[in-house]
Amino acid sequence: MNGYIRELWASRELLANLTMREIKGRYRRTILGQLWSLINPLATMLVYTIVFSFLFRTAPPVGSPSGIESYPLFLLCGLLPWTFFSTTVISSITSVVEGESLIKKVYFPRLNLPLAAAGSAGFTWLIEMGLLAVVLLFFGAWTIPWLPLLLLFMLLQTMLASGIGMMLAILNVHFRDAQHFVAIALQLGLYLTPILYPITLVQQLAADRGHWVVDVFELNPMEHFVAVFRSLLYDNRWPTAVDSLWCVGSAVVLFAVGSIVFVRNERNLGRLL
Amino acid sequence: MSAPAVTVDNVSVRFRLYHERNNSLKSAVMRGRRSVHEDFEALHNVSLEIPAGSTFGIVGRNGAGKSTLLKCIARILYPDSGRIVTRGRMASMLELGSGFHPELSGRENVYLNGSILGMSRRTVAAKFDEIVSFAGVGKFIDQPIKNYSSGMYVRLGFAVAINVDPDILVVDEILAVGDAAFAEKSRQKFVELKAAGTTIVMVTHAISNIRQMCDSAAWIDSGRLVSIGDSNRIADEYTAAVGLGDDQQQR
Repeated sequence: MNGYIRELWASRELLANLTMREIKGRYRRTILGQLWSLINPLATMLVYTIVFSFLFRTAPPVGSPSGIESYPLFLLCGLLPWTFFSTTVISSITSVVEGESLIKKVYFPRLNLPLAAAGSAGFTWLIEMGLLAVVLLFFGAWTIPWLPLLLLFMLLQTMLASGIGMMLAILNVHFRDAQHFVAIALQLGLYLTPILYPITLVQQLAADRGHWVVDVFELNPMEHFVAVFRSLLYDNRWPTAVDSLWCVGSAVVLFAVGSIVFVRNERNLGRLL
Repeated sequence: MSAPAVTVDNVSVRFRLYHERNNSLKSAVMRGRRSVHEDFEALHNVSLEIPAGSTFGIVGRNGAGKSTLLKCIARILYPDSGRIVTRGRMASMLELGSGFHPELSGRENVYLNGSILGMSRRTVAAKFDEIVSFAGVGKFIDQPIKNYSSGMYVRLGFAVAINVDPDILVVDEILAVGDAAFAEKSRQKFVELKAAGTTIVMVTHAISNIRQMCDSAAWIDSGRLVSIGDSNRIADEYTAAVGLGDDQQQR
């Protein structure tokens, strides 16, 4: 394991180059170029705002102490992390299958493939979250002091997503069904995580049906990440200890398990692909 | 001579040939965990040593296991039993232009491909002009690589790979790249590498390459080592056994 880490560290320039390849290659030959990475989440935000805010009349909570009350901003604080999570999981999975020609012809630490997928998605996410913080500032939320903490939790969520992605990438080499199955699971996940609606809606439901409803919702690590991002950006207050512990715990555990599973199986990739 | 650059110790590689393979969840569930397969032994107890600084050729018919052996040395495949020890930095040329992205420029791809082959950014930068002039792509270097002719593409890939400067270079049948002039230029480059002390391991179908470039060679058939030794002797034995002259062996 030690030898592997040393080798991985020695190949950090490769990781940077593979990440750049993803970022640069993605929007080549489009007129708007990298702007597409901003247009896409804005378009999604618009669609959900029309459906949930105008049609279903979902009321956004009032940010406390920030005092802002805006559904689109409330939505983006959860939607951007979710989009990153889902992109990273899917692209980590496909990175291995798509890297087949490389894996069969050159030796390098294979972990670089899913890590580069996470890196390129993370690059886009970083810009999105930065812009969101600026827009929130404009609407009266004092986001600046919370930025260091925001970066820390973004790093943790990257670990979570990439850990899950690495595990599933290995599964996907054996069963190509995995990537399609995961795509559906992620679609469901968007609705089962309080992103489009506040968690209070679930709590109201729990008042009638029993508290287990909330308990089930809170088993989802992304629920806690979204709660933390909303505390930091939308409310401008400290995230709760429970949410923070969930984030740290799930990120560390899943990243560790994911990379161990991946590294244990990476020697077989040349044969299996 | 000092310690060998590559030691192949009793290596066997088996591939599973699937008649009915469980690569979907449905088939795995329907049939349980069993899939129907037979084992195919691509390499059987192969042992050999490649002295440091020498050029070593591997010959054999199609499907004899030459490339499997090369891939094991290059750490792309791992043997089922036995082990391989290599001493020194290794680079493999099993394919030219690995990881080239068609939409990126030649320049960007040189840096990308260089780092895939294990070169640092600084090394690539220092050798950049040499790489471009060797490949002869000229002003095309800032064009997206998808606009390259197939000749330019492989020449650029070759130029990067040949500049890696490894201790051990593993080459699979890629000497016949480009036109006659380029082939001569690349042959010259191999002579330089050899003079600089690089250990070269190559698979080739061209017996003339074995005679001219290699010091020693191994002949592999059906995954077994048939004979190993001086390159001219192996070339004689192999051509005699296959029943063809040197020229007919050229592809």
